[in-house]
Amino acid sequence: MEKLTFYALSAPEKLDRIGAYLSERLSRDVARHRYGYVCIAMEALDQLLMACHCQSINLFVESFLKMVRKLLESDKPNLQILGTNSFVKFANIEEDTPSYHRSYDFFVSRFSEMCHSSYEDPDIRTKIRMAGIKGLQGVVRKTVNDELQANIWDPQHMDKIVPSLLFNLQSGEGVERELLGRAAYGNIKNAVTPVLMHLDNHSLWEGKAFAVRCFKIIMYSIQSQHSHLVIQQLLGHLDANSKSSATVRAGIVEVLLEAAAIAASGSVGPTVLEVFNTLLRQLRLSVDYELTGSYDPGSSIGTKIIKTHGERQLQEAVIRTIGSFANTLPTYQRSEVMLFIMGKIPVPGVHPALVSSGSGPEGTRMIQIMLLKSLVQVTAGFQTTNMLTALPSSFLEPLLSFSLTEDPEVRLLVIHILLSLIDRHDNRPKFSTISIISDISVLKLKVDKCSRQDNLFMKKHGQQLYRHIYLGCKEQSSGRLHYENLYNLLALLSMELANEEVVVDLIRLALALQDLALSTEESMPVYNRCAVHALAAAYLDLICQLTTVPAFCQHIHEVIEVRQKEAPFLLPEDVFVEVPKLPPSLEKVEGEVLFLQSKITEVLGGSGYNIDRLATPYVPQYTDEDRLSKRKSIGETISLQVEVESRNSPEKEERTPAEEITFETLKNAIVDSVGMEEQERERRRQVVERFQKAPFEEIAAHCGARATLLQSKLNQIFEITIRPPPSPSGTISSGYGQTQSRSVPVYEMKFPDLCVY
Amino acid sequence: MSMEDYDFLFKIVLIGNAGVGKTCLVRRFTQGLFPPGQGATIGVDFMIKTVEIKGQKVKLQIWDTAGQERFRSITQSYYRSANALILTYDITCEDSFRCLPEWLKEIEQYANSQVVTILQTVLWRRTNQPRRVIAPPSCPPTGNKIDLAEKREVLRHRAQDFAESQSMVYLETSAKESDNVEKLFLDLACELIREAKQNKLDNSDAAPMLGEGKSISYLSCCSIN
Repeated sequence: MEKLTFYALSAPEKLDRIGAYLSERLSRDVARHRYGYVCIAMEALDQLLMACHCQSINLFVESFLKMVRKLLESDKPNLQILGTNSFVKFANIEEDTPSYHRSYDFFVSRFSEMCHSSYEDPDIRTKIRMAGIKGLQGVVRKTVNDELQANIWDPQHMDKIVPSLLFNLQSGEGVERELLGRAAYGNIKNAVTPVLMHLDNHSLWEGKAFAVRCFKIIMYSIQSQHSHLVIQQLLGHLDANSKSSATVRAGIVEVLLEAAAIAASGSVGPTVLEVFNTLLRQLRLSVDYELTGSYDPGSSIGTKIIKTHGERQLQEAVIRTIGSFANTLPTYQRSEVMLFIMGKIPVPGVHPALVSSGSGPEGTRMIQIMLLKSLVQVTAGFQTTNMLTALPSSFLEPLLSFSLTEDPEVRLLVIHILLSLIDRHDNRPKFSTISIISDISVLKLKVDKCSRQDNLFMKKHGQQLYRHIYLGCKEQSSGRLHYENLYNLLALLSMELANEEVVVDLIRLALALQDLALSTEESMPVYNRCAVHALAAAYLDLICQLTTVPAFCQHIHEVIEVRQKEAPFLLPEDVFVEVPKLPPSLEKVEGEVLFLQSKITEVLGGSGYNIDRLATPYVPQYTDEDRLSKRKSIGETISLQVEVESRNSPEKEERTPAEEITFETLKNAIVDSVGMEEQERERRRQVVERFQKAPFEEIAAHCGARATLLQSKLNQIFEITIRPPPSPSGTISSGYGQTQSRSVPVYEMKFPDLCVY
Repeated sequence: MSMEDYDFLFKIVLIGNAGVGKTCLVRRFTQGLFPPGQGATIGVDFMIKTVEIKGQKVKLQIWDTAGQERFRSITQSYYRSANALILTYDITCEDSFRCLPEWLKEIEQYANSQVVTILQTVLWRRTNQPRRVIAPPSCPPTGNKIDLAEKREVLRHRAQDFAESQSMVYLETSAKESDNVEKLFLDLACELIREAKQNKLDNSDAAPMLGEGKSISYLSCCSIN
C-alpha cells in the first residue's frame, strides 16, 4: 500500500488509471461476494484519496464516487456502512477545483433512505441509520458552500434531508444544527418548510415537546439575523392551520413563544405589526370558534366539535406569546404595539363592523377581555423614562374609557395595565395588598425625583386618572381585588409621578373617597363603604409618611388608632381578608374616626402646600373624555367638521385647573356641556344632511369659506404667539405648545381647500 | 472501457395506499422472496436490480415508499426525480382502488413535469396479493390466476375502465405466486428504454443514438423471462 501511495504521489498522472483499475476490481469483487477484497480495494481508494489531494484528483474522484455508489447500492449493511464511511472521508476533503457535472442526487436519496432503515436487527438498524445521518452530513458539508452545488437547498433535497434528520433527532441533531448554521437568507424557507411538514404529518404539534425542541435547535443554530424568517414561517403556518384543532394551533403558538424568547431582539424583524396582527387574528378566530362552536359559521352540520377548553388554552397561549414578543421590542416599538392592540379593541356600538358576525355582544366582551389581557402582557415590565411619549392620549383615553364599563373583569384589567405602565421602579409588588404600615421604610421603596415630562404628564392626564380611581371605587361590582389594585395605583402614582401639586390632588382624592363612603345618596353596599374607608385610610397613612410632615402623620395616626379601637371595620386589616368582619350596617360613622379635611389643610398649609387647593373638595370631572369617546362614533366624512367646531368652541377652555371649579360652576358646566352636546348633535345632523343632499359645489364652497375663516383666525393667533421668543418659563411654553398643536390644523385645513375639487 | 457497468439507469418509485403490498412486490422482483408478515415501510426503502434486455444492461433503482400518510412529505420528495412511478392498489381492498385518483393528483403535483409526460403513458399500478398493474397501452391486459381471487372487491372491468380513461392498460400481479411480477418490471424497463431513445431523438437530431433505433416489441422483451 505504501508503495502504491508513493507511486501515485510521484506520478499523479497515473492516479485516474489506478482509480479505474481499483474500481473495476472492486465491482467484480462485489458481484462475486468477495467482501474481504472489497474492503481492501476500498481501503486503498480511501488512502489514495487522502494522500493525494492534489490538483489532479478530479478524475480519480469520479471512480472513487462510482465505487461508493456501488457499495451503497448493495443490500448488505456492511457494504453500505463501508461506502458511507468512505464518502464521509471524501466529504471532509476540500477540493480546490469544483466539479461541474458531479451530482449528489443519488447520495441524498440513498442516505435519506438509510436514515429510515427498518432492518430487522436493531443494532444493525441503528448502525445503518447512523451511517445515513453521517452520509447526509457529508453531503451537506460537501455541497453547502459550493456554489456549483447550490441546489442542495432545493426543496427536492431539503424535503428528504430534513425529515430524515428529524426522524432520528437524537443523533441527527448535530447535522441539523450544522445544516441550519450554514443556511443563507434565501435558503431558510426551504430548510424550515420540511420541518413544518414533518411535524404536521407526524402529528407532533399536539405533543408540543418535540416541536419545541425542533425549533429550539433551529433557533439556536440559525444565524441570528435570519431568525425572524423562521418566526414568519411559523406565523404563516399558524394561519394555514386556522381550521385545525385547538391543540394543533396551541402547539404552534407554544413553539412561537419559545422561539421568540430565543430569538430575542431579532425575532420580530421588520414587520412588527404584522406579527401582532397575526396573533391577534388568531385570538379573535379562537374566540369566534369557541362561541359559535364551529370552525365554519356557514355550515353548522358535520363540522368538528370544538372543545371550549382547548380554545381557552389556545387563547392563553396566544396572549402569553404576544407578551413574549413584546418583551423583545425596544420601548418605542412597544408603545406602537400597545396603540395597535388598543385600536383593535372593540368598543360596543362604535365599530359595529369590527365585531364579528355571529358572536354578538358576548363575543365583543370576550374579545375586549382577550385584547386587554394581551395589553397586560405587553405592558408587563414596560419601563419608560418619558411617560408623555410612551403613553399618548390616543392610548390612554380609550384605555380609561374602558374603566367606565360595568364589567368588573374589564375594569380590573385596565387597572393592571395602568399599574405596569406607571411602575418604573418595581415598587408594585410592595403594594399588592392593602395594609396600614406604621413605618414605610421597611418597604425599601425606590423613588426618583419627578422629571419635567412626568409633571407634564400628570398635568395633562392627572385628572383622568383621579377620576378613574374615584369611579372605580364607586362601582358596586368592585371587589377586593379591585380595591387592592386601586390602592396600588394610588401608591404608585405617589411614588412615581407625584410633585407637590399631585400630592395635594391625591390627598383631596382620598378625602373625596371618604366622603363617597359616607354619602347617603349613593346606594353602596356596606362592604364597599368599608372598603373605601379602609382604602382611604391606608393610602393617607402611606402618603403622610411620604410627605414627612409630622403634624400630618400625627393626625392620620390618631384617626387610625381610634378606628382600631372603635371601628376596626374601617381599616384594611378587617376588610381585605378572606372573611371580612363587617357590621350589618354602617351608621354613625363620624367624629374621630374620620379624617378631617380642615385639619389636614391646616397642617399641610404650615408646610407650604397649596391651602386653597386643599380646602376645595375633589369632585370628579366629567370632561372631554366622554365627549371624545362619543365623537369617535361619528363617521369619518364629517370628522373634519367636528374638529373645526371643537376647536372653535369654548369648551376647550374647561381644562383649567380644578381649584377654580366650585360646585356651582361645575354644575353649570355639566348642564352646559349637556346643552352643548345637544346643539352639537343637531349641528352634526345638519352637516350630515347637507353633505348628503347638497350639490357638490355648494359643499365645496362652504368648506372653502370655512377654511379661510379658520385660517385667518389661526393666523392671528399664530402671529400673536409666535412673536415672543420661547422662554423657559412654564406658562409660555405650554401656551406655545398649544399653538403648535393648533397650528397643525392650519395646514390640514389648507388641504381640503385644495383638494375640494 | 466504459466507466459504467450499465447502459441505462432508471429510477422507479412505487406508490399507493399503505398495506397494498408494494414492498412484497419489490422483494419478489429483486430478491425472489415473498416475506410474509412484512411490517409497514418506514419512510423509503431502496433496492437495486440490473436486468438485461436485448443485450443492454438496464439498472433499475427501485425506491419503495411508505404508504402511510405521516411519511407523505418525504415520499413526495422522491417522486420528483423518478423516471417511472408504479401506482399500486389491492384488488381485495376497495379503498385502495378508490384512492387512485388522489394518487394521480399527487403525481401531477409533485412529480417532475418532464417525467409526468413520460409517466402518463407509463403509469403502472398493481394490487395486493393479487396485484393489478395498469401498464402502458401497448401492454396486453393479463388475466391472471390470482391467489386471493375469492376475496376480490375490485372487479377487473372497473380497473380496466379506469386505466383506459387514463390511457393505461392494467396488469394484475401476485407477489406471492410471483405472477406477472417480472413482466411488470421488464415491460416497464422496455418502455423506459423506448422513451429514452425517443427523447434522444427529439432532443438532438444530430447526436448518434444509443440503440439501433429499432422499437423494442413487448413480446420480445417479455420473452426474456
